[in-house]
Amino acid sequence: MLNISNVSKHYEKTKALDDVSFHISKGSCFGLVGPNGAGKSTLMKILASIIHDYTGDVFIDNKILTPEQKEKIGYVPQDICLEEGLSAIGNLSLFGKLYGLTGKKLKLRAIEVLKQINLEKRANDKVSTFSGGMKRRLNIGCSLMHNPDILIMDEATVGIDPQSRNYIFQMINRIKNDGRTIIYASHYIEEVELLCDEVVFIDSGVVVEKGAVNDLLKQYATPSIFIKGTPINLDKMKQYGDVVSKKGGYILSTNEPLQVMENMIAYCREHVIELEQLELVQPRLEDIFFSLTGSELRE
Amino acid sequence: MRAIMITELKKNLQDKGLLFWMVILPILFTVLFIAIFTGNTDETTRKQVIVSIIPGYVVMFVFFIIISMVSTFNKDRDKGMTARFASTPLRPYFYMLGKWLPYMFIVFIQIFVLLLFGKIVYNVPLEQPMVLLILSIFLTFTVTAIGLATAVMVKTENMGLAITQIIALGGAMLSGLWIPHDMMPDFMQTISYFLPQFWAHQAFQDAMAGNINYSDLFQTLLILFCIGVAGFVLAIFRYPVFLKRSVT
Repeated sequence: MLNISNVSKHYEKTKALDDVSFHISKGSCFGLVGPNGAGKSTLMKILASIIHDYTGDVFIDNKILTPEQKEKIGYVPQDICLEEGLSAIGNLSLFGKLYGLTGKKLKLRAIEVLKQINLEKRANDKVSTFSGGMKRRLNIGCSLMHNPDILIMDEATVGIDPQSRNYIFQMINRIKNDGRTIIYASHYIEEVELLCDEVVFIDSGVVVEKGAVNDLLKQYATPSIFIKGTPINLDKMKQYGDVVSKKGGYILSTNEPLQVMENMIAYCREHVIELEQLELVQPRLEDIFFSLTGSELRE
Repeated sequence: MRAIMITELKKNLQDKGLLFWMVILPILFTVLFIAIFTGNTDETTRKQVIVSIIPGYVVMFVFFIIISMVSTFNKDRDKGMTARFASTPLRPYFYMLGKWLPYMFIVFIQIFVLLLFGKIVYNVPLEQPMVLLILSIFLTFTVTAIGLATAVMVKTENMGLAITQIIALGGAMLSGLWIPHDMMPDFMQTISYFLPQFWAHQAFQDAMAGNINYSDLFQTLLILFCIGVAGFVLAIFRYPVFLKRSVT
């Protein structure tokens, strides 16, 4: 469906993307993961045909990305891009018109989208009176007006309450079930884990890993335990496996987590260590990202 | 483009600040200055002052539309709206045109209202209405084209505000909109020939009095048109930079 081939982009002296290549299958929900400033938004803007001065190629259905293919793409920007002085239906109509919808077709589609984003009751209210979550939903709605095949969502849930976030997740799942391709960029990795089938990790403009979420978890996730307490001798712990410092404690990767936990308890008893936390850690994408880049997604 | 144009027009019609800047303030200034300058004068001088002040203030205040144009373009750029529109099939230059056209309409209405006010309240002559209409259209084009160029060139709203003051007030001072042109120092008179305000003011005064000849009118229209086209060309050349700023 979508092929990104050797894409690079510079902002004056800063390298935003460096030789990025990957493939997105039709109908998949594809996660783009990386910390702030990793190059996700730049890549999203390239895919949305907003940025043109890049090197490399982007193909949609084996055809090179051109402005004419914009109709296939719906772009949900990170910023809330709405006309505050217009109503919800006014904003939807504006974006619908930009994609050539007119008359009855436009009206019907706007009503349909209002239902999808659950804003029917506020259809005629000015956007300036909306909550952050409602604006986010309308922001998504505007990108759905022309029924795009591909939906690009750039940090679509930033700064909203959990209720609105859950509502957006339900919406995304519905869009996914319609068979549309979703490209979802976020630095909230739990969202990507929840929604996406495939994922690419980007750090400092470079693709560090890509693949199906389950495959990556199988490939990289070594069983590990988290230990927190005082005082813990780091050198002693290293005899049980690889140790990295995290969240005020240590992550110990081992192939025999239960055995190591038993040993750790014995060790703590013997050395009068006050143990605050000792738990088996489920493998997460965040840990994979951390082990690949040595940096946290959220700083 | 039509969708953008209608949205922009709706936004502006809802904006009470724009109504104040474009209509109420000019009327207040006109009334105030006419009262000051005609306090102890005979009827002939009074009429001369009024016939000079009304077109002068019309020409001066139309330039304040640049503030609104700078504000709307800068807000769109900083909010990400320009980039958002760039992701749609709307061609970038149609976005610019869609944003620009409502200001043409607003400035034209402003000129109409201010001249009508002059006619109703001070009974100023409007001897050549067709000429005044054509002049108004050309002045509207020139002012909004300068506004468009300023809007896509400035980095911040404050910078736009400062430039507008220079263009509107500096231009008014140098073009003889505040004091009679022939009473200005020679160097200022020379500078005024390069400013659209001078040409527009002279032509408006002559058309109101009914003694503009066609060669003078044609010269004025040509000058206003050329300045407008220069503004447009500048805006078109600077637009990619403006779009880039919106994206980053």
